[in-house]
Amino acid sequence: MSETKIYLELVKIYGSKNISNDPNVLEKYSEDLSFFPKKEPKYVIWPRNRNQIQKTIKLANSLNFSIIPVSSSSGPRHHGDTIPRNNKTIILNLSKLKKIINIDRKNRVVMIEPGVSFGELIPQLYKRGLKILTPLHPRASKSVLTAALEREPITIPRYMWDSSDPLLCTEVFFGNGELFRTGAAAGPGSIKQQKKSGQAQVNPMGPTQFSPFRIIQGAQGSIGVVTWATLKLEILPSIQKVYHFQSKNIEELLDFQYELLKYRLCDELFILNNLNLACLIREDPSEILTLTNSLAKWNLIFVISGRDKLASDKIAYLEGDILDIIKEKKLKISNNKTETNEIDILNFLNQADINPWRLRLNGGYQDIFFISNYEKISELITLVEKQITKNLGIYIQPINQGTSYHCEFNIYYNPNNKEETLDVKEKFLRISIDLMNSGAFFNRPYGLWAKDVYERHEDSTQKALKKVKKIFDPNNVLNPGVLCFDD
Amino acid sequence: MFLEKEIFKEFEDIVGVGNIDDGVVITNVYAYNWCMEIFNYMDGKEPIPFSPIPKAVILPSSTEEVQKIVKLCNKYRIQIKIQSTGLGPWNQPSTDNCIIFDMRRMNKIIKIDEKNLYAVIEPYVSGAQLQVETMKYDLTIHMPGAGPMVSPLASATSMNGPGFTSPCTGHSARNVLAVEWVLPDGEVMKLGSYGLKNNSDWFHGDGPGPSLRGIMRGWAGTKSGLGVFTKVAVKLFPYPCSTDFNVKGNSPNYDFDIPDFMKLYVMDCGNFKKLEDVMLGVEEEEISFMCSYLSGFAVMAIFSNSIESLMDKIPIGQMKAPLVVIITARTKREFAYKQKVMDFLLNNFKIENIIGKIYTPKPIFYAEALRSNLGLHGFIATGGFQSSKGVADTAAVCLRSTKSNIPLKQEFIKKEAIANDFGEGTWMTSYESGHYFHMESPTMFDQTEESSVKGMAEYMEKSNQLDLLKHLGAPFFVEGTRMHELFGPYMSNYHIWLRKIKETFDPNNISDSGFYISPQNK
Repeated sequence: MSETKIYLELVKIYGSKNISNDPNVLEKYSEDLSFFPKKEPKYVIWPRNRNQIQKTIKLANSLNFSIIPVSSSSGPRHHGDTIPRNNKTIILNLSKLKKIINIDRKNRVVMIEPGVSFGELIPQLYKRGLKILTPLHPRASKSVLTAALEREPITIPRYMWDSSDPLLCTEVFFGNGELFRTGAAAGPGSIKQQKKSGQAQVNPMGPTQFSPFRIIQGAQGSIGVVTWATLKLEILPSIQKVYHFQSKNIEELLDFQYELLKYRLCDELFILNNLNLACLIREDPSEILTLTNSLAKWNLIFVISGRDKLASDKIAYLEGDILDIIKEKKLKISNNKTETNEIDILNFLNQADINPWRLRLNGGYQDIFFISNYEKISELITLVEKQITKNLGIYIQPINQGTSYHCEFNIYYNPNNKEETLDVKEKFLRISIDLMNSGAFFNRPYGLWAKDVYERHEDSTQKALKKVKKIFDPNNVLNPGVLCFDD
Repeated sequence: MFLEKEIFKEFEDIVGVGNIDDGVVITNVYAYNWCMEIFNYMDGKEPIPFSPIPKAVILPSSTEEVQKIVKLCNKYRIQIKIQSTGLGPWNQPSTDNCIIFDMRRMNKIIKIDEKNLYAVIEPYVSGAQLQVETMKYDLTIHMPGAGPMVSPLASATSMNGPGFTSPCTGHSARNVLAVEWVLPDGEVMKLGSYGLKNNSDWFHGDGPGPSLRGIMRGWAGTKSGLGVFTKVAVKLFPYPCSTDFNVKGNSPNYDFDIPDFMKLYVMDCGNFKKLEDVMLGVEEEEISFMCSYLSGFAVMAIFSNSIESLMDKIPIGQMKAPLVVIITARTKREFAYKQKVMDFLLNNFKIENIIGKIYTPKPIFYAEALRSNLGLHGFIATGGFQSSKGVADTAAVCLRSTKSNIPLKQEFIKKEAIANDFGEGTWMTSYESGHYFHMESPTMFDQTEESSVKGMAEYMEKSNQLDLLKHLGAPFFVEGTRMHELFGPYMSNYHIWLRKIKETFDPNNISDSGFYISPQNK
């Protein structure tokens, strides 16, 4: 089928204004911050409603072109998952679907479209006394829905009851263009009818004997295009008290955070090395380095909170119980009150990031992240630190109520320096492989990792995933080539 | 239908002599299960408590044996039905061309990972066993409402999963980490981090990429309609109070030393609107170990061990909208804070705790709460019960469903088909500190009386229709082809997708689809 035919059919759906093949526009979608090979899409299209999305997917099935959905309105893309793999790719840019459809205080849930960003949603929720569970200082322009679909780790592990949280129900077009609603949103009845009977699409499981939201999540847009989702909310605390413990020894902090999480004593909870904490607090590179040098190597941050009339009582009980743990374990660490202050930390915990913190030091970074168990964290850190001796940020995030850990290594570098870039590229790939060989579980296998990740996994997984892909996207029109799905 | 001698021998070679039986006695015994009579009648069959008689019963002892048996079943086109601890009709074959796997030889706790807060178990480990072992680490498990005698693996992978402690331990489906799963074609699949070729471990169940937990189960499991689960890692939770557990006396009237920091509240909220407000209020404070709405009759039942002992609890039964809350704590400070919150809420909502004033339960109640052993009380009135309904979403829809069910239930009470709970018999619990709720309507009937069984089945059918027509969420027991085809068209045509999964992953239709979905034209 000719390109002209595709274009003409797309114009019928979108009009010419919401389609672009301007080289400057296409160029933006041809690469990202990763080392994934560059390739331009044929067109970028901006749907305004779900009918257009459905028609586009059906058209892709009949005219044999590929679709890559993207949602964030601006800002850097990262992991190579939205770069075209073939010469017949169209970018489906969902950023103009930006309705906050419903904020439901009573049921602690929000329904949003894919284009809604953290920068837009957080203030709206604050007005209603609510908060969304966020990744660590998310970019303001980042799509909230995409972060949830990509299983980005959240900073409050005790609220992560399932590794899928905070994602609840979704409305999705599968690869054959069929509309589906996952979880309790499936029905019986339309969303309007469900609302009338008191429902709020807060149960992600189902419908009945399968949970398709789990196969949409983590699929990098290759199973379905989500048009709205409901996400879990928490009530905004009226008091937040920040703790910042420092140590030269990460084991000591890991041990302490384990106790805090086991007994659900705090909200936000994670460990950063000095450089990453400095990147989160300061913007200017020289200030980042100054702060880095004044901090101990490892920093455990946690927040206790309370709300309303009994907020102080709650804080008092939590503080008392935490102090008991410190005494019982004879920990020699204490709360840092010098190098950082509470406001600095609360700023990056409570607000979206206008100046992406991972880009502040050198203007570029590569991140290596995976899931680990508790015991392997130190070993895997040593593995990376042996190969990268400077400008290495480290972030350890307990997830899923402490049953595993997101480990993230940020290699900061100047992307305009070709020599440095080549060196980082070589190290990025080598270290990633070393980590895979040492038991790091790359459960979100983006771009250049995918092939190596699946090679190190049981063949039955790959086989099963391919079968699933065939069921929900029989003609392989959605983001072909990602994960273990052949182009 | 017996197995042909040569085929029997092939199976026997896998599991060893004495671990397979196709004799009349054993196969007939395995054809019985609780509530089978209702499901038979709902399927247009005679209301007897027996399923089709299996061709044989086989007892594998390892994943390798399971795999070999499944492959052999594919070769001879014999269907499989899996029983872990085997409670209920979902464990029964839907055809007589079926072998039952009794998983009792796979009964090991593979590991308790204290630092990563999970346990790995085989199918025949019971909740009670696992809980006792986890208590040594100051940890506990999510126990399904069915009770501590059932298999947590079955609940996590294959069945439903609400529990009395769901406010703080969630739902079985959401507590699953890595899984070992023998697919219907005999391939062994290892979900998540357990699938790593080197350094495999059980700490994570999703990926790489999409999570295959999504086809493994939903709100309900596939009830052995999609292979055999041989091991699962399930999340562990902090034990709610001191792990000292001192029980004395003889069954059923045990005595128990109530832990220091454990307090029961039973409050009449007066009406459903207020009940909703109070429940949401309690759950937003994240303080409850248990937070359940039970009808007055059901509250009487959870404190009773016999029909006679029900009778002295009439004042409890008169409550209009009772809420049962238990708070627990590990420290005096925590306990004081939680009590203060409860005092604040009681004052705010102008309700009273009747415990210690109107009624004081026997200490064994607290042991049963810690053990999640309250479900058994549903049996005391008539010897048999089953739940209808099963919606899970907001408190509001659960209460609407409860309310709309009362006149329907009363209709069958009038006919004397089901026991008289005034039509109100309901259990509703919060999950994850009130992020969602579920309700079901336990209904007591007489399994030995055909008219009662038929009445119960008719009531369940009507209850399902009510949920469908009034958009009250999908009930628990939308399972089996007939029900999927009834509900699917009103629910995003999900049955079409579910069937595709079945056809793709079970090309020979080996896994009994009686409680799942059949392939096209079968």
